[in-house]
Amino acid sequence: MVSTRATTDRTITEWLYRYVLFPIGQMLVFIVGAGVVVMVLAYLLAFLFPEPRPNIVLVDQINRQLPGMLIAGVSLGFVYAMIALGYTLVYGVLKFINFAHSEIFMFGSVIGYEVMRRISDAGAIQSWSPPLLIIVVVSVSMVCAGLLAVLIERVAYRPLRGAPRLVPLISAIGVSLLLTDAVRAIEAITRNEFNLTYPTNDLAWLKTPLPLAFGETTVNVRITSIIIIIGAVLMLVAMNYFVNGTKLGRGIRAVSQDMTTASLMGINVNFMISLTFFVGGSFGGAAGSLFGMNVGTVTPYVGFTPGIKAFTAAVLGGIGNVTGALLGGLALGMIESFLNGILVYFPALGQRYTDIFSFSVLILILIFRPSGLLGERVDEKV
Amino acid sequence: MALLDVRNVTKRFGGLTAVSDVTMSVAEGSISAIIGPNGAGKTTFFNLLTGIYVPDVGSINFGGRSLIGLRPDQVNAAGMSRTFQNIRLFPGMTVVENVMVGMHSRLNVSLVRTITRLGGFNKQEKRVRERASDLLNFVGLSGQGDEICRNLPYGAQRRVEIARAMASDPKLILLDEPTAGMNPNESKDAMELFRKVRDERGVTVVLIEHDMKVVMGISEHITVLNFGQTIAEGTPKEIQSNEKVVEAYLGRHAAGSSRAEGEA
Amino acid sequence: MTTAQSTPTIKISLMGRIMAPIRAVLDNPVLAVPALIVYMIAVTLILLGLNRSDPLFPLKSSLAFPPLVLSPFIVLSAKIDWRFKGLLVLAALFIFLPLIGMYDSSYFELVIQICIFSGLALGLNIVVGFAGLLDLGYVAFFAVGAYLWAMFTSPVDTYFKVNNMLVSANYFYLFIFLGVAVAATGGILLGLPVLRLRGDYLAIVTLGFGEVIRVLAVNFNSPTNFTNGSQGLDGVLRPTVPPFIPDIIMRVDQTLGIPISNANTLAQQMLFYLVAIVIIACIIVIARRLDDSPIGRAWTAIREDEVAAIAMGVPLVRMKLMAFAMGASFAGAIGVLYAAKQSFVSPESFSLNQSIGILAMVIVGGIGGIRGALFGACVVTLLNLQVLKNLSLQINNFKNIDAVMPPWLVAVILAVVGGWILWKLLKALWSFANRWFGNAKQAEQVRVVVWGVLVAAIALLTLQGSGFRFDDWPAQLEPAKYERLVFGILLIMMMIFRPSGLLPEPRRKMEMTAAKAEAEDGAIGGGG
Repeated sequence: MVSTRATTDRTITEWLYRYVLFPIGQMLVFIVGAGVVVMVLAYLLAFLFPEPRPNIVLVDQINRQLPGMLIAGVSLGFVYAMIALGYTLVYGVLKFINFAHSEIFMFGSVIGYEVMRRISDAGAIQSWSPPLLIIVVVSVSMVCAGLLAVLIERVAYRPLRGAPRLVPLISAIGVSLLLTDAVRAIEAITRNEFNLTYPTNDLAWLKTPLPLAFGETTVNVRITSIIIIIGAVLMLVAMNYFVNGTKLGRGIRAVSQDMTTASLMGINVNFMISLTFFVGGSFGGAAGSLFGMNVGTVTPYVGFTPGIKAFTAAVLGGIGNVTGALLGGLALGMIESFLNGILVYFPALGQRYTDIFSFSVLILILIFRPSGLLGERVDEKV
Repeated sequence: MALLDVRNVTKRFGGLTAVSDVTMSVAEGSISAIIGPNGAGKTTFFNLLTGIYVPDVGSINFGGRSLIGLRPDQVNAAGMSRTFQNIRLFPGMTVVENVMVGMHSRLNVSLVRTITRLGGFNKQEKRVRERASDLLNFVGLSGQGDEICRNLPYGAQRRVEIARAMASDPKLILLDEPTAGMNPNESKDAMELFRKVRDERGVTVVLIEHDMKVVMGISEHITVLNFGQTIAEGTPKEIQSNEKVVEAYLGRHAAGSSRAEGEA
Repeated sequence: MTTAQSTPTIKISLMGRIMAPIRAVLDNPVLAVPALIVYMIAVTLILLGLNRSDPLFPLKSSLAFPPLVLSPFIVLSAKIDWRFKGLLVLAALFIFLPLIGMYDSSYFELVIQICIFSGLALGLNIVVGFAGLLDLGYVAFFAVGAYLWAMFTSPVDTYFKVNNMLVSANYFYLFIFLGVAVAATGGILLGLPVLRLRGDYLAIVTLGFGEVIRVLAVNFNSPTNFTNGSQGLDGVLRPTVPPFIPDIIMRVDQTLGIPISNANTLAQQMLFYLVAIVIIACIIVIARRLDDSPIGRAWTAIREDEVAAIAMGVPLVRMKLMAFAMGASFAGAIGVLYAAKQSFVSPESFSLNQSIGILAMVIVGGIGGIRGALFGACVVTLLNLQVLKNLSLQINNFKNIDAVMPPWLVAVILAVVGGWILWKLLKALWSFANRWFGNAKQAEQVRVVVWGVLVAAIALLTLQGSGFRFDDWPAQLEPAKYERLVFGILLIMMMIFRPSGLLPEPRRKMEMTAAKAEAEDGAIGGGG
């Protein structure tokens, strides 16, 4: 830890470096890295298949679309990264895949809808200032999703701690099924429908895209993409500080290293686990509400695909590793946005193969490098 | 000719060299021991021999055949079997079933024959069962074949593990701290058993052991490891008087004083 | 029955008190056989007596049908000579169930569905139960079998139709074997790369594979049409009915005088039922033989300790592949049967939900046991396809007749549910309060107060309430659409309270509970 004798000035600089500059720099490096990889891939593809369809020159298409794809990729990547954090934090502490995390994300998106709908029903949505509205929506869904995650852990996982590995996993699958239908039932009773459309249509500031010029081409960037990026960066920086710079974060790290020893050192293990679930869940919730604002309509079944992709991202980065989740999320988001843009030009494939591609990535990583990009190889002790 | 011939075997985990340039040979029909302080790399060495880890450098020859690159089950089939430091029986299976699993590499395991029950399947099952109960008699557990392993006392579990390791009819058996946690009486019985394994069944024995009474009482050859390296080898007598060994176990200062005592 | 033995003896539950006399009869070697016969006849007569035009029919039928379907399990739990058991089970399978099926073909449909899911549960049980590999994409192999038959017989313009590769319905039985072979090959191909993975990773990867297969089924309609995409393949051929089946039906019709509305459908159903029973019988025999063999022991060993197993000479990947391929092959055979029975195959039927449903069957019944898998398949399928559907129908019926739930019933339901929640809350509160006062007498007083409030609430609601009008039931809240809710609750409840299942396999029971107990003993502080 930082030397106690350091001058205040140095401490502040160091603090800034460690908890603000370094994580933001890391994100930039990851974004640029993933972006470069995607660009290289794109032009390589254009080189291999110059004209996948008659009269469509791939290079031109890529030139035109690349900035847009990169921005979309970054925002998608941050959504994946925020969900992936939930998987990775819980895995780090309990060595268990929280299968229900995708439903916590879904729950966050539904709560986000409920909050926004209530504000809208009260007729206040136009008068609220945009940042306030977003902060309220996101933070309410963060808290609710975090609490739900804690509740789930208490009810469905804690009684099973120490049971064979598959037992809590099966329970988690059960929780996932239960949550989707429970949310559906509640929405069916209260609103008599479960396709929930965010009341964002009449919000001009949210709907009008922001034109950004990249050289000769102008890209219309969606405001929600920008909100996602800014929100995610702020929250990730805060989380980095929480995990690495506070006493509670240290507790979580201690528990993830060795639960028994941590409890012997006077750390309340159950509390730390609950806290981990809260933090992971609230990130899932935030991702959910941001995602909801972006796509417009959510359902109780919206969690599955982003969930499994975020899991892929977590594994890609190295599950259990917080930085890895960020890297994995950004990389996967970037690749996916690229595929979404490019596969349309290949008549035999089409966009519908994007999901298959994500699954293939998952399967290939698990087979060839189960420890992920940043993870360490862990051999079972014999 | 040596049954097991290990040359210059090295295994690193990241920055840690767990086993470093170990050379060792085991004569057929002998009982040898590997000793060394905790963390000296003894169990890792066993894991290298049995194919659980692959050595970074070095050769392992067993009965004139290289074991490098073989999977653990292939090593077992080649005639080298083992027990584990912290007993790893199949806790929910019965004693006799545990031993029967140990015979796997000696059986004709065919899906078609299993489903049709033809081609001598029943005969093989009968033979397996008989051999398993014979082995249980051998280790002194006759009549306890149908007990669930989890319910057995500790000492008996160690015996089941030995019977299970013997089931594949090995030429060499590796025992990883077989008397750990036993009282002196139990240790003595266990020593008898190890001797019987060699004398009656002709199986070469290599054991990792901390109990010096057992080591000195039973083994004909001892290898001492420390920090992954061989620091000494020889007969029990030679080892007892080896300075390096005393130093490794008790520290430099103690070694010095013991030498002083010896001279006095 | 094993269920009764394994309930904790400390507190005699209400369930136990009801079960005790039944148990006593079943344990009595003289009484049991006639009692069982009377039971089966009685249930059959009750079912025959139900009238579809009765507004309460859905409720009554979903109360009366499960006892008949589950009767073989009751027979098996009785302490009687195995020959009697066999005869009684055969009677249930070949007399009582077909009889009910002839009377009302929707029951026959249900029984066939139960058979199909039993086959799938038995197959998955080999993978999950015997070898301990959690496979969440099991339904993929089922899809392989189903599409195999559908692609070669559907008149839809697919690649096979265009190239004149369609086969006649007589190939059905051959295709069952082909389904076995193709699915097993698929199992090996999918298994080879992934079976090195650790348990939970394997679960996710198999889930991914299951989804990939489904997405491929959706998308393999262009550039060449193989699967006809999400529209699916219809007009899949059914096997021709051998003449002896209509004969039997005719004879039964003449002797018993059961009115038969559609003899052709019935004969077809009867054929599927017989084929399904034969397939399941084969699967049971194979599964039992596998379990009691070096292969089965190797699987158990792998499940209990992989490292020890491989060190003892068990080739891990080979044995795991065997389990995967065996499980897959059963699903393939059942898939062919399913395609023929439904006469329609689409990617919808092979979703992750289906995989998890099958997993729920294995877990509810008791992981690792053959009887458990069958029992789980019956219970979950009945719940899913009968109880939930009938509940929906019942609510609709109530709506149609403008039924009002009487105030006292509303009051009792509210009181039971609300009282349970209140009681849990109070208990938590009270255990906290007890630490302050250390007084057990006050706990008793609180209990009295709680009961008093509940009784008062019931009385008040009965007198003042207007009851619940079924018209107010939200249209979206249709029980039949909430199968996931049921699966979810089942999985969680089973894992927390009975991880070894309702009809547990003794060894598995020990594995599941002992590890937990050890962890609880050994853990310090928050570890448990």
